[in-house]
Amino acid sequence: MIQDEIPIPVQTLQWKCIESKKEGKRLHYGRFAVSPFRKGQASTVGVAMRRALLGEVEGTSITYAKFKNVVHEYSTLVGIKESIHDILINLKEIVLQSDSYETQKASISILGPRDVTAGDILLPTSVKIIDASQHIATITTAIPLDVELRIERDCGYRTLNLKESQSGEFFIDALFTPIRNANYSIHSFESNNKVREILFLEVWTNGSLTPGAALSEASRDLIDLFIIFLNMEKEESIKEIENNELNIKNFPSTSISVDIDRMAKEVAFKQIFIDQLELPARAYNCLKKMQVHTVSDLLKYTQYDLKKVKNFGNKSVEQVVEALQERFAIQLPKDQFNIS
Amino acid sequence: MILEENKGMFALPGFDLIQYEGFKRFINQGLMEELLKFPKIQDADQEVEFLLVGDQYKLREPSIKEKDAVYKCVTYSSELYVPARLTQKRNRRIREQILFMGSIPLMTSQGTFIINGVTRVLVNQIVRSPGIFYSREPDHKRIPLYTGTIISNWGGRFKLEIDGRMRIWARISKERKFSIITLLLALGLTRKDILNGVCYPNILLDLWKRQDKDIKSSEDAIIELYKNLYCVSGDVTFSESIRKELQRKLFKQRFELGQIGRRNPNNKLNLNVPENESFLLPQDLLAAIDYLIGIKYGIGTLDDIDHLKNRRVRSVANFLQGQLRLALTHLENSIRQTMHKAIKRKRSLTPKGLVISTPLLTTFKEFFGSHPLSQFLDQTNPLAEMIHKRRLSTLGPGGLTRRTASFQVRDIHPSYYGRICPIETSEGINAGLITSLALHARVNDYGYLHSSFYNISDDEEHIVYLSPAEDEYYRIATGNQLASNWGTQEKQVTLARYRQEFLTIAWEQVHFRSLFPLQYFSIGASLIPFLEHNDANRALMGSHMQRQAVPLLKPEKCIVGTGLEGQVALDSGSVTRSTQEGQIVYVDGAKITLSLNDNETIDTELITYKRSNNKTCIKERPIISTGTYLKEGQLLADGTATVGGELAPGRNILVAYMPWEGYNFEDAILISERLISEDIFTSLHIERYEIEVRITNQGIEEITKDIPHLDSYVLRHLDSNGLVVLGSWVETGDVLVGKLTPQEDSLRAPEGKLLQAIFGIQVADTKESCLKVPIGGQGRVIDARWVYKENILINNAKTIHIYILQKRKIRVGDKVAGRHGNKGIVSKILPRQDMPHLQDGTPVDMILSPLGVPSRMNVGQIFECLLGLAGDFMQRHYRITPFDERFEREASRKLVFSELCEASEKTRNPWLFEPDYPGKSRLIDGRTGDTFEQPVTVGKAYMMKLIHQVDDKIHARSSGPYALITQQPLRGRSRRGGQRVGEMEVWALESFGAAYILQEMLTLKSDHIQARYKVLGAIVTGKPIPKPNSVPESFRLLVRELRSLALNLNYFLISEKDLEREMKNV
Repeated sequence: MIQDEIPIPVQTLQWKCIESKKEGKRLHYGRFAVSPFRKGQASTVGVAMRRALLGEVEGTSITYAKFKNVVHEYSTLVGIKESIHDILINLKEIVLQSDSYETQKASISILGPRDVTAGDILLPTSVKIIDASQHIATITTAIPLDVELRIERDCGYRTLNLKESQSGEFFIDALFTPIRNANYSIHSFESNNKVREILFLEVWTNGSLTPGAALSEASRDLIDLFIIFLNMEKEESIKEIENNELNIKNFPSTSISVDIDRMAKEVAFKQIFIDQLELPARAYNCLKKMQVHTVSDLLKYTQYDLKKVKNFGNKSVEQVVEALQERFAIQLPKDQFNIS
Repeated sequence: MILEENKGMFALPGFDLIQYEGFKRFINQGLMEELLKFPKIQDADQEVEFLLVGDQYKLREPSIKEKDAVYKCVTYSSELYVPARLTQKRNRRIREQILFMGSIPLMTSQGTFIINGVTRVLVNQIVRSPGIFYSREPDHKRIPLYTGTIISNWGGRFKLEIDGRMRIWARISKERKFSIITLLLALGLTRKDILNGVCYPNILLDLWKRQDKDIKSSEDAIIELYKNLYCVSGDVTFSESIRKELQRKLFKQRFELGQIGRRNPNNKLNLNVPENESFLLPQDLLAAIDYLIGIKYGIGTLDDIDHLKNRRVRSVANFLQGQLRLALTHLENSIRQTMHKAIKRKRSLTPKGLVISTPLLTTFKEFFGSHPLSQFLDQTNPLAEMIHKRRLSTLGPGGLTRRTASFQVRDIHPSYYGRICPIETSEGINAGLITSLALHARVNDYGYLHSSFYNISDDEEHIVYLSPAEDEYYRIATGNQLASNWGTQEKQVTLARYRQEFLTIAWEQVHFRSLFPLQYFSIGASLIPFLEHNDANRALMGSHMQRQAVPLLKPEKCIVGTGLEGQVALDSGSVTRSTQEGQIVYVDGAKITLSLNDNETIDTELITYKRSNNKTCIKERPIISTGTYLKEGQLLADGTATVGGELAPGRNILVAYMPWEGYNFEDAILISERLISEDIFTSLHIERYEIEVRITNQGIEEITKDIPHLDSYVLRHLDSNGLVVLGSWVETGDVLVGKLTPQEDSLRAPEGKLLQAIFGIQVADTKESCLKVPIGGQGRVIDARWVYKENILINNAKTIHIYILQKRKIRVGDKVAGRHGNKGIVSKILPRQDMPHLQDGTPVDMILSPLGVPSRMNVGQIFECLLGLAGDFMQRHYRITPFDERFEREASRKLVFSELCEASEKTRNPWLFEPDYPGKSRLIDGRTGDTFEQPVTVGKAYMMKLIHQVDDKIHARSSGPYALITQQPLRGRSRRGGQRVGEMEVWALESFGAAYILQEMLTLKSDHIQARYKVLGAIVTGKPIPKPNSVPESFRLLVRELRSLALNLNYFLISEKDLEREMKNV
């Protein structure tokens, strides 16, 4: 039905955002079309994207709150309409936006009487509030409300870990995922007497990221998942060479595939941000300062180079090397000379 | 009470009226009646006279509030003071004093009683109403026998029988029968009196000749009666003592008809004995005999004892009045004794010295504590409370027993229409014995159940209340046929009830019509939408399970309801309403202050996180803000499981009816992770743990933090006093209260003595008896408090209560149900991307089995879920009174489809309503992206999480306690019991030939004591587990029992070589 509206390029895959609207501060909707796929491909991509959107996309949420003079969350404070537990539930719902993987600190410090909303949270610069009108509590008399918060980024949801908590400290079982819903539909059409497919992707997010950003993050997550197979092929081919050195017929083809593989990988590494190495704060910040954003950026450096960077100690280098090894099975060369 | 302009209107009677009215009757009438009945007490010489001035009694306002009574674990009661007068005739002294008689538990504003801090409710009892009832019953030779039973209000029952040979017998309280002539003569009637008093003197005369020739006088009769009742043979001569004995046994206040019991024979036998004559008179007996003879000849009617006109409700009023009477009788005896003693010892008397408060106190305490109808209030949610208060029971003292109750009493009787719910009753052994009051039913002052109807035979329609005896003689149109006939009333025929039958009659012949289609049902059943599409059995389960629903963290109103939700929530008392008009000046989580016009303020305290009787959490949430002006009766706060003043025990959940990889086989339910992550089915539960601090022989038990026996890790939450710190998170094994019990040290082991001698170490002379968190318990400690029991019997018993709150998310094994009896257990929790999704991408939240519908015939769930889907898309809530099919054929289906169609058009979701498969939709598998083969029914259903949760049930045992006698593992989770390998399980093992497993089950793992111990050693040392070579303990028990019957059981071994016998002892 919408086919006619979109000019369909014949050869290469193209995408287009058909619709994007803010249905509210906390509801973004976006519809995208991708085409042309060969028959059956659209479904492969569609299912994978929907699942990645629902399951893999990360979000930011409040995971911890500390109140003063509160014994346990099942109590009420004089002058506040909600119980502590209700406030915790309200905090759980608050939508935040942040790029940082680190645990951030925030706080609420306010004097009543007034309605406390998400806008009243004092946030570090890297975190943004999406909907400042989200209700947290109602203070009905002139009393102060001081809450310390902790903000984390993760995917999926987390259930309570109450063991560590002390009095006045409460963990919130946070729901991180920013994707409200995702859907896809496939329509086929004919072009040059061949059946082609067009894939429509619909994404509803909670406003902390645009549907487009959600799509790109989901696809990045998907690529992360698939990268292992690229390596596998390479390793296998090497093994094969080792095993059947005499079998020359296979050799050229595999070497070509290795080449293609390498290229693909390089492209992929350009897409992978170093966030996904889940490096500790110090190393991460240093790399960011050095304008290292993607893995491919990082691969330009050697261990030796890294050590020379300010604030980048031996330990940090070790962590980077380890993370690369663990996630992408890449070994960062020790120094310039080792590259061959 | 009905205003003139509202004559045609009706409002539902308050659902808790049955409790209040009962208690009101007791306070206003019953109390005074009993106090006035209290006799004047005189001593033997009639010198001293004691008199209660009953009509000037005073009840003192309770010193504590209802909520405090629960908190402090005391009884909410009011003290009764009655003035008494003591007259001493010799010196003409009159002393008057106001006496404390004891305290009477008061009903709270919720219609309950608080006894020792526990909320209890008095369940109304249905009993046979007093009076005379005739029936036919076969005797042991199957010859029909006509009987007339006189049932008393107070005391035994009396039965008249006429057999095949026209002999008339009498029977008192199921004892041996004797001739009626004997009884009549013994009563003091003469031959002439008898023969003149009856209509059929010939029959009696004939009887006389055949049966009681030798009884001539009243004395003869008394002797005969005495012989008969006491089974004395031989000659007994008449004496005054025999007469007294009989009088005491049979006549004196042993048998009271009461006011109600008097009306029945008056009507039935056409007598005009005054109503305040509450005992049976000889003329009653003669009339009863007449009627009995008449019945033998086919004149007169037999009574149907199951008819509600012959059964009445014993309410709070009757129970309390009965108990008060009992208490006053005790008091009377005690006064007599004290008076007697005092006069004997020539002590001076005062009214205060005579009257003690114990009879009243102990009687009421015993009654509320142990009477089977004073029950622990079911407080799972507000609906459960409400239903419990409206329950009617035929069991209990003065009622039936569940084992002997016949099918007839359990069956639905035509007179139940509009009085007792035909659906709601318990399943199993109590089916039909424990029932529920219908919506419009009311109990009148005499205890008969009335139902209301519109009178349409008169010119003006108005409401009438009909007793069960009356409504049979009118033609009453039923609710589900009415409305369709409104337009053309004259020519229409309609279904009507008349003399326990359904007739199709012309409209103008109808006398009454019912008010409301749900009039016949109880609250539980009338909360089920599309009730008429459900099989009654499933509707029953649906109404049961609604009251088992756990209040959720974030409740939600149902999209599809019946419109009764509001009234249930209001009448249950779980929502708080303003009592007066005014402005809100202050709100916080625990208090709301209302300012009246004249600068007065009213504080309303809210309940925050309190434990209910069923361990669920009670909490009130203020829903108004400061500054709002309120009318009287407007909502201040929502309670548990209510939203905006409507009952909300569950959540609207997107369900699909489809099989999914076999995970919904046999009613299992598959849910999405969303129900966990978004706290949809999360509930709070508060558990109370208690420990008593006693004084033992060795000294006082000590509450302390220093417990050397235990690891410091488990003691980490204790404060310096040895109590757990509030707000700490505790888990299984953690100590909540550190307690040391002193132990006798004379039996100290020698090594202890040695230690002490060498190192001077004091070996502990105490035993730890700490309160620990049991297995499966964990949570946040929200309260810890000392409770001082009122009970003085146990000296200085102090108890510590620890309250632990648990937050429970839904998990595999929890029970989930809808309102139509569609229940199931969560079998798997899937991530939302794996759940099947709708065509707009929304993942389904719950997958139910489609096979659960056809055989159970609860089609209402399908209607509900489809209409719910339409309502969800259009942001509408539907309140549908069941039986909408009276307007049109298939009205429900048309409504659902038209709403779905509208929703599909309005929201531009064509898949919502597809004409090829209306009400179904193509679903897509979230894992593969394939469309499922068949279109699937999806919709929003209102689902509840029930109180049956795995956390309370999961149990495993490796070893644990054993029964003392059989040495087999105990039963039940609470006692850490084992799993019984019963007869059938043994057969299963036998059939597989699994001999070793079977032997292991019956010996090592059960009651073979020595083998049991050896296993442990074998496992530790790594040796093979020894085979038991003797018999298990339970077999030895059998042998011992046989021995006590003088039978010995032994076995012999005969060696092959020399045939020598060797005896073995078992």
